Amino acid sequence: MKRRKFITSSTLASAGALTMPYVLPSGLLGAMTKPPISEYVVFVLFAGGVRQQESVLQRYLAEGQNEDIEGNIMYNMLAGAPPIDKIAYGQDDTVNDIIGGIPINPILQTPLDQLGTLFPEVRFSKGGAGHFSGLSTGVSGNYYSTQGLRNRPLSPTIFEYLRRYGGFKATDCWFVSVGITGSRPLLNYSAHADYGRPYGGNFIAPTVTFGTPGMKNYQDFKNYHPDTEWQTILEMREFLNQNFSQPGLEIAHLYNDVNEEDSIKEFVKSTFEKVSNGSVILPPVNDNNDLKTVGYAVEVLNWFKPKLMVVDMTNIDVCHGDYTSYLKNLHRADHAVGFLWREIQRIPGMAGNTTMLVMPEHGRDLDHNPIKDDNDWYAYDHSGNNENVRRIFSLMVGPGIDGSLRVGSVDNPIGDASDIVPTIADLFGLKDIVASKGLLEPTARSLFDRM
Amino acid sequence: MNTLISGKQVFRILTFTVFSMILFSSCEVEDYYVYGINDIEITPVNSEKDKAKTEAQYISILYTNLFQKAIGPNQMLEALKAIESIGDKQIAFDMLVSKYMNDPEVKLPTDESMRENPEQFVRDTYSRFYVRQPTEAELQWMINYIESRPALTTELVYFSFATSNEHFHY
Repeated sequence: MKRRKFITSSTLASAGALTMPYVLPSGLLGAMTKPPISEYVVFVLFAGGVRQQESVLQRYLAEGQNEDIEGNIMYNMLAGAPPIDKIAYGQDDTVNDIIGGIPINPILQTPLDQLGTLFPEVRFSKGGAGHFSGLSTGVSGNYYSTQGLRNRPLSPTIFEYLRRYGGFKATDCWFVSVGITGSRPLLNYSAHADYGRPYGGNFIAPTVTFGTPGMKNYQDFKNYHPDTEWQTILEMREFLNQNFSQPGLEIAHLYNDVNEEDSIKEFVKSTFEKVSNGSVILPPVNDNNDLKTVGYAVEVLNWFKPKLMVVDMTNIDVCHGDYTSYLKNLHRADHAVGFLWREIQRIPGMAGNTTMLVMPEHGRDLDHNPIKDDNDWYAYDHSGNNENVRRIFSLMVGPGIDGSLRVGSVDNPIGDASDIVPTIADLFGLKDIVASKGLLEPTARSLFDRM
Repeated sequence: MNTLISGKQVFRILTFTVFSMILFSSCEVEDYYVYGINDIEITPVNSEKDKAKTEAQYISILYTNLFQKAIGPNQMLEALKAIESIGDKQIAFDMLVSKYMNDPEVKLPTDESMRENPEQFVRDTYSRFYVRQPTEAELQWMINYIESRPALTTELVYFSFATSNEHFHY
């Protein structure tokens, strides 16, 4: 019923778009552009490699460790009762000496799958189930079955599409990363000859920028007076660069204009001050890197109000050698997403105008490896050669998106990891023009078209 | 035994000798040489610097230029991480260099030395950062810029060179 209502709404919106052409900031006007569905989009790469069994299927230990205990440890994102026994995913109970014995309180009163639409069985359908491969597919809508690390995505990222066809500024697009390992800093623009750096999004790995490396190399950097000293530097640099302004001879900047450059520097300076006085907006529990990263992501949202922000996580990947920590970090990743959604609703302008998408970059193996943790629970890799690593989910919530809607099931998988890019393009009214470039995975479709 | 030569014979020998000299000297005039000059293509200053330094190379050279000593391995590692954590490298380098400029150990020429001999200062600065001498146009522009701006400091000049595109290339 709700699905029918959504389709009706979408049809009416489409009809309206046909009669009311929409002029994008880039000046594009035509049949390939439509009014945006959402003003802002936040895409959470719920990354690290998540098993369906412990996430959307809510099986807790029942399938992973052959213990008959089920339950939902992601109660900010999913509706469902938590486990009632062998609680190991929360904060450590130091009084009773129980590791992970105190579950984290939910942040959201209503789980996100009740506020939005869940695709519980999506497929990461091609290529190896590696982190960079998955992240790259998430931001480019394409698979690179032969691409290794240290290479940028071969086809354009969503940042490049939005900047090129949506007229977005560089500071409208941010990749906030959990770190700089695994070639993550290469995900903000592609190696495609027709796109690339001129259309790239800004990138920041805040736990590095505001951690020890940044403190030693950026903190308290000198503020030159903008009208005198900085203007002088810009004049001289313009002269010095006159023979080095061609592509390939520049320092790899991202075409932030002067005001954007100033704003980024001010953001860095301001955030260092917040770090110093402990006022960075962090989740209530912030005992791992994912949670701190999401806290800094909220700072980015507050400062820049970007049209698109992608934020990734990774701590779940500890599952290679420690299943208990995997459960704890999965529970914390859910805490992070709940916190992020709550904070978005507190930002003037973004509240009520932001769509959030959540998708793991790939799954994990069905069979465990031989490593046991302190609870005698087996660990899991994402080694491939089994369908379980290809099983993921997608969740979207925001204005105009039906709540409590599930699309697909275990027996009827619907959706693909490459769908997020056309979905974001759809949200910004650019689906057709992006699709027309022919650089997406051929089967990639907007999730709205999967319903 | 001596041979007696008559005056007439002497005249003939002299005539032959003079004629021969004129003849041979005439041959030398007729032989001329063409000195070829190889074509030289005049290229801009960026023609030989088309390779980007790695970030490690850039930081290492930058640090040496500003502190007159080599950067330590741990400091280099931290600087590399900091640079990698920011997507826009111009912004990252700007912040790094301005952080260095706040370091009391940074070694800059005095403003007085720049004012006393702007040409030498410009030549030294080009040599330090670009490993070349300025062109005449560059030299004049820089000298004029220095002389027309009393508030200009060597720090601002060094900052501009350190964060310019040419300094990132070799």
